[in-house]
Amino acid sequence: MTSRRDFLKVTGAAGAGLVLGLHLDAKSRPGETAKVLFQPNAFLAVRPDGTVLITIPKAEMGQGVRTALPLAVAEEMDLDWSRVEVATAQPGPEFKNMQTGGSTSVSTTWTPLRKAGAAAREMLKAAAAAQWKVDAGQCRTEKGFVLGPGGKKLGYGALAEAAARLPVPKDPLLKKATEFRLLGKRTPRVDGPAIVTGKAVFGLDVRRPGQRFAAVLRCPVPGGRARTWDEAKAKAVRGVKAVVQVPTGIAVVAESTWAAFKGREALAATATWDEGPARDFSSAALEAKMRAALAGPADDARREGDPAKALASAAKVLEAEYSFPYQAHATVEPMNATAVILPEGAEMWAGSQSANRAQERAAAALGLKPDQIKVHVPLIGGGFGRRLGTDFSTEAAQVAKAAGGGPVQVVWDREDDVRHDLFHPATLHRLRAGLDGSGALAAWTHRIAGPAVLRSWTGGQKSPAQAAVESNGALDIPYAIPAIAVDFAEVEAPTPLGWWRGIEIVPNVFARECFLDEVAHAQGQDPLALRLQLLGSRGLVKFGREEADIRRLKKVLEVAAAKAGWGKKRPTGRGLGLACHAYDGRTYAAAVAEVSVAKGQLRVHKITCAVDCGLVVNPAGLEAQVEGGLAFGLSALYSQITWEKGRTVQTGFHDFPVLRLADMPAIEAHVVPSAEAPSGMGEPPVPLAIPAVLNAVFAATGKRIRQVPVGPDSFK
Amino acid sequence: MPAYQLTVNGRARTVDAEADTPLLWVLRDTLGLTGTKFGCGQGVCGSCTVHLDGQAVKSCQTSLREAAGHAVLTVEGLSKDGTHPVQRAWIAEDVAQCGYCQPGMIMTAAALLKRKAHPTDGDIDEAFADHVCRCGTYPRVRKAVKRAAGGVK
Ligand code: FES
Ligand code: FES
Repeated sequence: MTSRRDFLKVTGAAGAGLVLGLHLDAKSRPGETAKVLFQPNAFLAVRPDGTVLITIPKAEMGQGVRTALPLAVAEEMDLDWSRVEVATAQPGPEFKNMQTGGSTSVSTTWTPLRKAGAAAREMLKAAAAAQWKVDAGQCRTEKGFVLGPGGKKLGYGALAEAAARLPVPKDPLLKKATEFRLLGKRTPRVDGPAIVTGKAVFGLDVRRPGQRFAAVLRCPVPGGRARTWDEAKAKAVRGVKAVVQVPTGIAVVAESTWAAFKGREALAATATWDEGPARDFSSAALEAKMRAALAGPADDARREGDPAKALASAAKVLEAEYSFPYQAHATVEPMNATAVILPEGAEMWAGSQSANRAQERAAAALGLKPDQIKVHVPLIGGGFGRRLGTDFSTEAAQVAKAAGGGPVQVVWDREDDVRHDLFHPATLHRLRAGLDGSGALAAWTHRIAGPAVLRSWTGGQKSPAQAAVESNGALDIPYAIPAIAVDFAEVEAPTPLGWWRGIEIVPNVFARECFLDEVAHAQGQDPLALRLQLLGSRGLVKFGREEADIRRLKKVLEVAAAKAGWGKKRPTGRGLGLACHAYDGRTYAAAVAEVSVAKGQLRVHKITCAVDCGLVVNPAGLEAQVEGGLAFGLSALYSQITWEKGRTVQTGFHDFPVLRLADMPAIEAHVVPSAEAPSGMGEPPVPLAIPAVLNAVFAATGKRIRQVPVGPDSFK
Repeated sequence: MPAYQLTVNGRARTVDAEADTPLLWVLRDTLGLTGTKFGCGQGVCGSCTVHLDGQAVKSCQTSLREAAGHAVLTVEGLSKDGTHPVQRAWIAEDVAQCGYCQPGMIMTAAALLKRKAHPTDGDIDEAFADHVCRCGTYPRVRKAVKRAAGGVK
């Protein structure tokens, strides 16, 4: 959401052409003076040669922001897209919120970016008009030029200096959707050519003069510490330069990554550990606690009508338990960061989804002020929420300092990355549905038990929003049911937690959409018909702080069902299943999966998805997010992290499987056209994959699966 | 410490490192060719795929000793200017999301097409069995391989 205080101002001119600072995120804080009331988040610069540099305040991790955000500026400004360069911002006074997550990058920057482009366009037009001594109304812009009466034409580069001296229009007119030249067209990713030639620089590809590489020997139990170790063993490895202690473990600093790994291996053989308070933690023990919590006290997230009474007086009560395991992020680029200590502060390269936090935390660890650390954000080889954490970036700063300044690149190997993830926690779900005498759904209760992810973001404190956040996806069940109760029973676990693509909506929507399917079958109803009936003819509906337009949800459901051929006869052994969700009331998505099960083997043939995410900025990017989101969700059907003796059983892609090409179903993405402001698409498809597939498994086999992950035994 | 000779992207290189050093780290840390990626070091993600005498191999599972005396091709050497048919197809299909797994995929695709000009879906499944893309670019990978094979115009 943009603030009404958004404004634009010229921040510099001489020599650089026109530089427009774009101010958004205006928050006044007590005690601050007026001049810092407005915080710029993005910049664009027109260079004298007519090329335009757009600096974006978000990290690129595959979601396409380096393409989508500049497109909004370029559209309004009428730029020649081939002459646009894109840079990623650095955190600092000018970029105070670079946080990239929650599928919010486009929705929160859309209007300010367009306004920045439109203001620049008006200023360039005015500059040309003044030079030609004509009225600005007689001028128009096209592909980087201002065109005036009588065939007059000037490039933006030539006009930039003059334009920069003009006042910035407060409320420049934005284009109508029908005038769009770039938005809504398929635009390939700007980083494509660098990626396919190997030139793209990810965090691990950062190379600084004199750079060393480090691997940290960490206690396999999170929170544990090394008690004794023999650094001579590591130093005996060729290429090892230093062995230093940091809060996360013992770092081996070497001339190459391989030498660091070998040195660490030698060191590991000598280390003894104080495994800390988590040393006895196990998945089995947690499950017992979660099961007990299903019947214990809980915090209400939503309560409507009188569910207890409605259940007591129901003609029929259905009850089921669903479970979802711990999950890892498993980005293909493992965690890493590079740091160097400088006389005036420090410099870091960290693929962070939260560069400002990375800067603050590293500063605190080094005893510096945040503005003494320059943070570069290279391309990110997969984020999915993992890189909202600052553990890996702070650690690199600490290793650099302990090792005499660096530059040093701390490289996590795959086992480090899996074992020391900021995990998505397990949950158990108990759902009850009461059917009245006529068979109608009269009551719905959904109890969620598990560790609270939100605490990972609030320094371990219990937030008043905890129950609502942890039940996202369950709380906002979009169906009209007279009595509803959704609550959350927290179960403590000593494991690091963090945000994961889709977060709570993945398990919560899985339980909700599968259990609704159970209700339909118990009623002898078609699952699509039941959903349409329960969505009814309602419009805007409020869920806690969010509001969703039920009509838009209904529409995507109808489109997905129609495109998938819902209700048409299938070959024997095949089944269709569906799921839908209104993501934070912003993005509407429905999916229909087609599966078969043969000899205990599940095969997902196709997922047909319909989405409404408001105006589509870049259809190519949108489809990629639908494909990727469904793949991520589907992958979670097969993977889990389990704990024994305080450590993860899994150590890599061999035992934490990620979906492979041969198992990727055909994906069909249908966009329901919308003129609403654009919303995000990184997460909305994720929670649909599992319930759509498992509902399809039921349709194909009559077997109801309520436990993730599935294995060969699930289908027996 | 013996020095090892190998040809990388057509250029003769001499590398002074331990014999068991994976080719991956020789490329990335010694020779500065960071286009080849580290994803697992366990031989199960395919990010580190390069060509050894024209065959796709996982450079994290290939030691310097094994690579010595052979010709190594990395994504940086696939073409001078990004115009190898596989690279062009990859751009045309806009395959990459985060892009991290992509150089490995591209090297596998190039080796596959050299072996089999018109691969079937089954051939593609098999060739990419050891690749992980967490971003889920698979449908486009398949399309791009077919496009590079001349199947999609
Ligand atoms: S890094 Fe070699 S297969 Fe994963
Ligand atoms: S594009 Fe991100 S891992 Fe494949």
